[in-house]
Amino acid sequence: MGLVVETTNVSRIYRQKLSAVETRALEAVNLKINEGDFVAIAGPSGSGKTTLLNLIGGLDYPTTGDIMVDGVYVNKLGPDQLAEFRLRKIGFVFQAYNLIPTLTALENTEYVAFLQGASRKHRDHDAMSILRDLGLETLLMRKPAQLSGGQQQRVAVARAILAHPKVILADEPTANLDSHTGEELIDLMFRMNRNLGMTFIFSTHDKMVMDKASTLIKLHDGRICE
Amino acid sequence: MLTFIRIAWRNVVRNPGRSLITTGAVAFGLAALIFLKSFVTGADQQMITNYTDLLIGHIQVHRRGFQNNMGLDKSISNPSKLARALLSVPYIRAWAPRVKDFALISSTESSAGVLLMGIEPADERYLSSLHERVRVGAYLNKGDDDKVVIGRQLAENLRVGVGDKVVLMSQAADGSLSSAAFTVAGLLDAGGEEIDKGLALITLKAAQDLFVLDDKISEIAIETTSLDDVQEAVEILKNKIDLAQFEVLTWKEISPMTYQWLKFDQVFTGLILVIVLLIVSTGILNTILMSVLERKHEFGIMSALGTKPDQIIFVVTVESFFLGALGCLLGGLVGVGLSYFFGACGIDLSSISEALNSFYIGSVIRPKIDAASTALYICVILMVSILVSMAPARRAGRLKPVDALAG
Repeated sequence: MGLVVETTNVSRIYRQKLSAVETRALEAVNLKINEGDFVAIAGPSGSGKTTLLNLIGGLDYPTTGDIMVDGVYVNKLGPDQLAEFRLRKIGFVFQAYNLIPTLTALENTEYVAFLQGASRKHRDHDAMSILRDLGLETLLMRKPAQLSGGQQQRVAVARAILAHPKVILADEPTANLDSHTGEELIDLMFRMNRNLGMTFIFSTHDKMVMDKASTLIKLHDGRICE
Repeated sequence: MLTFIRIAWRNVVRNPGRSLITTGAVAFGLAALIFLKSFVTGADQQMITNYTDLLIGHIQVHRRGFQNNMGLDKSISNPSKLARALLSVPYIRAWAPRVKDFALISSTESSAGVLLMGIEPADERYLSSLHERVRVGAYLNKGDDDKVVIGRQLAENLRVGVGDKVVLMSQAADGSLSSAAFTVAGLLDAGGEEIDKGLALITLKAAQDLFVLDDKISEIAIETTSLDDVQEAVEILKNKIDLAQFEVLTWKEISPMTYQWLKFDQVFTGLILVIVLLIVSTGILNTILMSVLERKHEFGIMSALGTKPDQIIFVVTVESFFLGALGCLLGGLVGVGLSYFFGACGIDLSSISEALNSFYIGSVIRPKIDAASTALYICVILMVSILVSMAPARRAGRLKPVDALAG
């Protein structure tokens, strides 16, 4: 398996606009993740987990250092190229689900595939197939507000998977779910990882997620400590 | 593309209260504009029709220079030759020869200066509506060569009535002082001072005799099949007569004041259009801006998933277009409906009929839809609804996903 993510001396410093106060969210982070890994990034709140995922996913720029994902230096891309990078290479599963509120479960699942230019026929077929696998076949036409947290998170996973990304970034995906639903979701993603060979990178506090991970990275005060 | 349009549409219906207020404001603005324009168009057309029908006609043919300096020395000799040219011009519905000059009219009590017009009563009936404005007495008939019809106010000034004698005096074409006595046959009540206070009508023959003109005339007044045909008829007519000798004038040139008034009317309507557009624009801008700020997080999600800035701008712009289009649909229906309704039954403004009469507008105004202006207003509002969305759309497109998701 080849290298899919590599960060070199990555730092992210937040500066407040009207003061000289600096917050060092990440400092000199170096890590390498192989294709097909099931990686958990653990650490207390404020340790920089979300910041690291945001940087890998091209949602933000590092203050210093380089981030390479699937051979692309993410920190060197402009806004349009970053959008294209996220579209082709990254799948996101957010803690707050982050489905588009005006679209149905089916449309949300298809959204990224639509942006990628997949035909309606293919999108419908693949989305329905995945949603069926996730036990959501009766909820296709429901809007996010009509779904439970667990159901929304499964739609978010379906959306990420349907896009066939190189890496799926999941920011504390079980944080808002009860333990049973959370466990089901992690099992689901673990199966996807095993069956489809997709690389998963989680940020988590959850012991159960850490136990499933093939690689565990511990962050503390913005530095990798283990 | 369809998915973006679907997202935009659902955003419009997601907050029905806010969307209704915005579309309502657009609809109200457009309906008001269409109705106002229809009202003004109806009133203007009434004014033009009344004014041209009353006296001047749509076109007049004179000897060159007559319009600027009216005088018997600029009379048309051999008018039958000119009449033959008129027969071959399409769009001409009626025409009538006239003699025109200033004269002094005197009664036993008083005297006044008037515009004296010699007319062929039978021809004039097809051209002007003066005969309908005789409120007391009778209009002229063929052979009434010793009778005169004068304005009501002129009669009051002269202290004469129907059946009384007046004397008309003027310098004749041969330079002599000419005068003749006439019996007042009828009193005109046209509504405008110009006619009611300053016009006297006698037969063409009586005028030619008074002014010693033989068969010469001062002008030929022409009515075309419609006001829209005037320009074309003028162009054709100009090719058929000797322009070194004659001038062909449209009603706009004969009565530049009326034409200027209509122009002013158009500018005034245009000004109101701009004000309404500003109000409509502010409404749409406010809605879109609020909507963008409220959905910052949503745009962050779209951006994080790989939606390009241009695609987000497209969604916001289409949303604004929908609001504008809905408003236009509603406003168009209401505006056109109101204009048709009042066009059919008329708006009675008899309480201010005196003021309207002085502009040759009747007391009942019938709004008339101006299709071109209506289409223009709709296009402008649709364009404005797209243009005002540009700033908030760009703002949405430029959001940094990490900030938008956090916010």
